[in-house]
Amino acid sequence: MNNEEAKFRLRAYRPGGADAGDPALSEALEQAKRDPALGAWFEREQAHGRAVAQKLAAVQPPAGLREAILAGARASKPKEPAARPRWRSPLWLMAAAAVLMLGSVLTWWKAPVAGATLDEFAVNFVARGFVLQKHSADLGALRSWLTERQGPLPEALPAKFAELRALGCRTLDFRGREVSLVCFERGGKEYHVFVGRRSDFGDGAGPDAAAGPRAYPKTGLVAATWSDARHRYVLVSDADLATVRGVL
Amino acid sequence: MTNEAFTHLVDAHYAALYRFALSLARNSTDACDLVQQTFYIWATKGEALRDGTKAKSWLFTTLYREFLRGRRRDARATSLEDLPPGEKDIAAEEVDRVAKLDAATVMTALQSVDEVFRAPLTLFYLEELSYIEIADALEVPIGTVMSRLSRGKAQLRAALVAAERGSGENGKVVAFPANKEAKRA
Repeated sequence: MNNEEAKFRLRAYRPGGADAGDPALSEALEQAKRDPALGAWFEREQAHGRAVAQKLAAVQPPAGLREAILAGARASKPKEPAARPRWRSPLWLMAAAAVLMLGSVLTWWKAPVAGATLDEFAVNFVARGFVLQKHSADLGALRSWLTERQGPLPEALPAKFAELRALGCRTLDFRGREVSLVCFERGGKEYHVFVGRRSDFGDGAGPDAAAGPRAYPKTGLVAATWSDARHRYVLVSDADLATVRGVL
Repeated sequence: MTNEAFTHLVDAHYAALYRFALSLARNSTDACDLVQQTFYIWATKGEALRDGTKAKSWLFTTLYREFLRGRRRDARATSLEDLPPGEKDIAAEEVDRVAKLDAATVMTALQSVDEVFRAPLTLFYLEELSYIEIADALEVPIGTVMSRLSRGKAQLRAALVAAERGSGENGKVVAFPANKEAKRA
């Protein structure tokens, strides 16, 4: 894990220290202890978080809100709950929840990104979260950065992409194949374009010629694929189907 | 649930729910309505949730759903044109900046963050839910929560800079409704 990835995770670490036992954050925490620069950044990040949290906690509800809630609830006549079997006792449920949460976090943290095809992989890659290696709104700068690393370069993107704002890019490996990822945004929605060399996807591991956009309900993401003479593309976005269709 | 248990539940969570609602609705009246509606739904339907340990997450999830259901899609579409990169590092003076501002100003800055980032960001700073629980409450993937926290923090820092410069009227930071309680803090 490099420092940028560690920062990406540590930004989700609550300033009060409530996440100290989170296994998905522990490696990043250890790295912050070892690396002075990362450690100093983390201290500033936590201090800033504590300051904001303290200000937020100082915002008080208006007088009378509590009484209004209680009065409204009394009018609705809540019922007494039925007796619960022992296995549903809070202690058992808390223990089970803790085990499940620990298991799910470890699974999420350790498991490689799944996906037999590039489009499946791309959706899972975005859903899991990632860090950009190059930040710039300048497509020329992103192109230069990808060229230096010999990553696949998009020939041309749909015309509507001119209306999007570039965020940055990175390279990644999909089952031994080089893939470039260029990210854009508009209106609070992100558009991630995965680019692979067509010659690398002659065995069916690439997306079909042109498909989508399709919704992936489990992730809340939408993906579309297309190809040109040299490359295959997968677009993954958190925008809805109609919005994604509008940029293609 | 007994009246006593319900009162305990209200006492434990209504203030944090109000802060979350205030950040979403951006005015005290609508925030109060959201909190009351959330507890009303609990009182009428919450008994179906037999696992009491999930009450807190349930309340935040329900409030957020009610907010999404009830709001109008206003014409003030989000614009990220001037959004700094989410991964930009924090500067030391930014910590002092927050400390100098009052609670109402910080809330106003938070309210100016685009809604898609504001909801997870507020839940994060309330410290009631972990990022995993936030993902569950907002029904988005864990990685998306991390990404939105990163980008939301960058937006909040930009808003705090604007607030410190007293540029609350420039359209980026919305006017904060009168909240005498908060201003006293």
